[in-house]
Amino acid sequence: MTAGGGLSAGVEEAPAPRKRRISPMTYVLIAAGAFVVIALIRTLTGAEDLTSSGTVAAALTAAVPIALAGLGGLWSERAGVINIGLEGMMVLGTFGAGLAGWQWGPWAGVFFGVVLGAVGGLIHAVATVTFGVDHIISGVAITLVAPGLTLFLAKLYFTDTPGGGQKKSPPIPDVPRVSIPGFSSLLGDIEAKHWFLISDLAGVLRGLTTNVSLLTLLAVVLFVFTAWLLWRTPFGLRLRSCGEAPVAAESLGVNVYKYKYAAIVSSGALAGLGGAILAVSSSQFRDQQVAGRGYIGLASMIFGNWRPGGVAAGAGLFGYTDAMQLRGADAVHALLLLLGIALLVLAVFQARARRYGIAGVAAAIGVAFLIWFASTDVLPPELVTAAPYVVTLLVLSLAAQRLRVPKWIGQSYRKGQGG
Amino acid sequence: MARGRENALRRVRGIRLVAGALALGLGLAGLAACGSDEAPAGGGDGKLKIGLAYDVGGRGDQSFNDSAARGLDKAKAETGIETRELEASPGETDSAKEDRLRQLADGGFNPIIAIGYAYATPIGKVAKDHPNVKFAIIDDYSPGTDDGPNIANLTFAEHEGSFLVGVAAALKSKTNKVGYVGGVNTPLLQKFEVGYAAGVKAAKPTATVEVKYLTQPPDMTGFNDPAKGETAATGQLDAGADVIYAAAGGSGSGAFKSIKSKGKLGIGVDSDQYNVPELADVKDVIMTSMVKKVDLAVYDFITSVKAGKPISGNKVYDLKSGGIEYATSGGKVDDIKAQLEEYKQKIISGTVQVPSKK
Repeated sequence: MTAGGGLSAGVEEAPAPRKRRISPMTYVLIAAGAFVVIALIRTLTGAEDLTSSGTVAAALTAAVPIALAGLGGLWSERAGVINIGLEGMMVLGTFGAGLAGWQWGPWAGVFFGVVLGAVGGLIHAVATVTFGVDHIISGVAITLVAPGLTLFLAKLYFTDTPGGGQKKSPPIPDVPRVSIPGFSSLLGDIEAKHWFLISDLAGVLRGLTTNVSLLTLLAVVLFVFTAWLLWRTPFGLRLRSCGEAPVAAESLGVNVYKYKYAAIVSSGALAGLGGAILAVSSSQFRDQQVAGRGYIGLASMIFGNWRPGGVAAGAGLFGYTDAMQLRGADAVHALLLLLGIALLVLAVFQARARRYGIAGVAAAIGVAFLIWFASTDVLPPELVTAAPYVVTLLVLSLAAQRLRVPKWIGQSYRKGQGG
Repeated sequence: MARGRENALRRVRGIRLVAGALALGLGLAGLAACGSDEAPAGGGDGKLKIGLAYDVGGRGDQSFNDSAARGLDKAKAETGIETRELEASPGETDSAKEDRLRQLADGGFNPIIAIGYAYATPIGKVAKDHPNVKFAIIDDYSPGTDDGPNIANLTFAEHEGSFLVGVAAALKSKTNKVGYVGGVNTPLLQKFEVGYAAGVKAAKPTATVEVKYLTQPPDMTGFNDPAKGETAATGQLDAGADVIYAAAGGSGSGAFKSIKSKGKLGIGVDSDQYNVPELADVKDVIMTSMVKKVDLAVYDFITSVKAGKPISGNKVYDLKSGGIEYATSGGKVDDIKAQLEEYKQKIISGTVQVPSKK
């Protein structure tokens, strides 16, 4: 164990091995390696959609609502409160966007969506913090109530509106979209050449810089802001301490209830924003529109180890596979090859870490995928549609072995319970 | 210890609170589901009492259910009838649908019309128990499940209409590649796809069709997710398609949005979507629609009951009977109308046989 470098010299061997954190540089290297593999597969299989600008742009659109739900979950869970009501808060957000959006424009819609989401968060906070209700029960209640409530309100407000109906709002105008001038067409030319790696890079960059909704930029800003606020400020430290050791925090003078309230209301606001963005980018509120995105956000938060960067990566992965499967089945078939390789690489790493059980399972599934890829030309449509869920599940169950849950998560906390 | 018990008590109280909120929410959902009820008054004075059970979406969906509602309204305006309209909620079970039909039958409604294939199994059961009540189901005929002497199976030859819009798509395509975006991969939607593909091939044997279903059953959200519709359509346009048939219910608006942003053409479904207010922003890309006249079927059935000769068994509304047609609003298919009419006549006369299954 020399991983610690010079510092470990002369210090006795650490009893618990493999506790060191992966440095950001390693993540960058992993991402770069994965990108080269994807580019290679794209060149070999001719499935241009693996790295086309269209896929990347669609992935971004698909990922943003999920990522914001995940970020909302992060806020709440970092303060020790499980928020399974994210789905319901997103539903409230879509309705808020529909209600205000068609009358006063998309920004008003986003604002109302955030407010309604925050109200959902407030209800969750009152139930879990003030009344000490089980977090899961309160969250499930919100998720069950929200669609019924919005449906009822939609009937009241949208029935006789122009272009609206009992289950949908009138059209909401879109927010402005921005591109980097000139850059886009240049990248487009390079992308069309289908050169190995260079065109792939151009495709990804073009997808990320062309016709980007201002709401997407807002989401990016919120991720950076959250990372700064929760990890670089006293406020953030106190908030996180409420999720790790509220009793200790209280003994140091932190008003735990206040911080929990702030976290959960922010959580609801972020989920509401995710819902509002979904409604605005779909140009209207529709009943059933959220369709489980809140839960996927929750999964991306767990995948992301309760960290903003991880949440973004998880949501991005889901958005990417979802965009790919919606755009065409060819790329999903190529994805089999990618998954097979990824699983084999994972198997090697797990074997080196002496986790032979996981390594064996990963290797077996990986080989099965490779054989499957080689022996077929197309996938059945049922499987293509399930691809995002399968990929998320595989990554979650096989790669996410280092998760660290906030210590006080899910437990009730009463003021002064430390004695 | 005392504090611990107090906590436990608070917890129980909190759970009750949430349970109460939950019950309230479910109540609201229920309220929303039957908000448009109209209690039947009196009865027994010879007036027809018609029960209508909508599919998810209900009156106001500006598509399939609304078309049925138009048929009902027309019959209501012409003759004095009483109606009661109930609506399905998303994700409900067959037994919920069965209860809905039973509720109508027990309430003395006759005839009872069920809108949508989701009622197939429930209507078969309920009709057996109420042999004197006349039933009709739109969009389904499954012998052994929903057939019977007192059931009218009103189905549509969607494949025929889809064939015609497929011909239109092929004739309008410059890239020789057209797209099909289906909402949910159900047998009914496959009928659209197969007919469409056959039409494309008939008009241009070299043309190819890109096919995408947004979700797989039992996930029905594919009919309600414009974001997915937009992504799928963009993918097909990027792959070179330049005409897309959006048979995806509410997700179609997303597909049209994408088509408009790329300056291509789209085809609507169920109603003449060029004239749907919701799609006013994108109507200039909707070159035609595959129109399915559910209102005609509902109206026909009501008049047949009124006349004492209720339709029973499978009645197919097709091009010939005018239950299916292609829309010409917007004038985008005027230049190819002669060819479309020619194919239409060929289908009606039987010269062209349109497949309806994969």
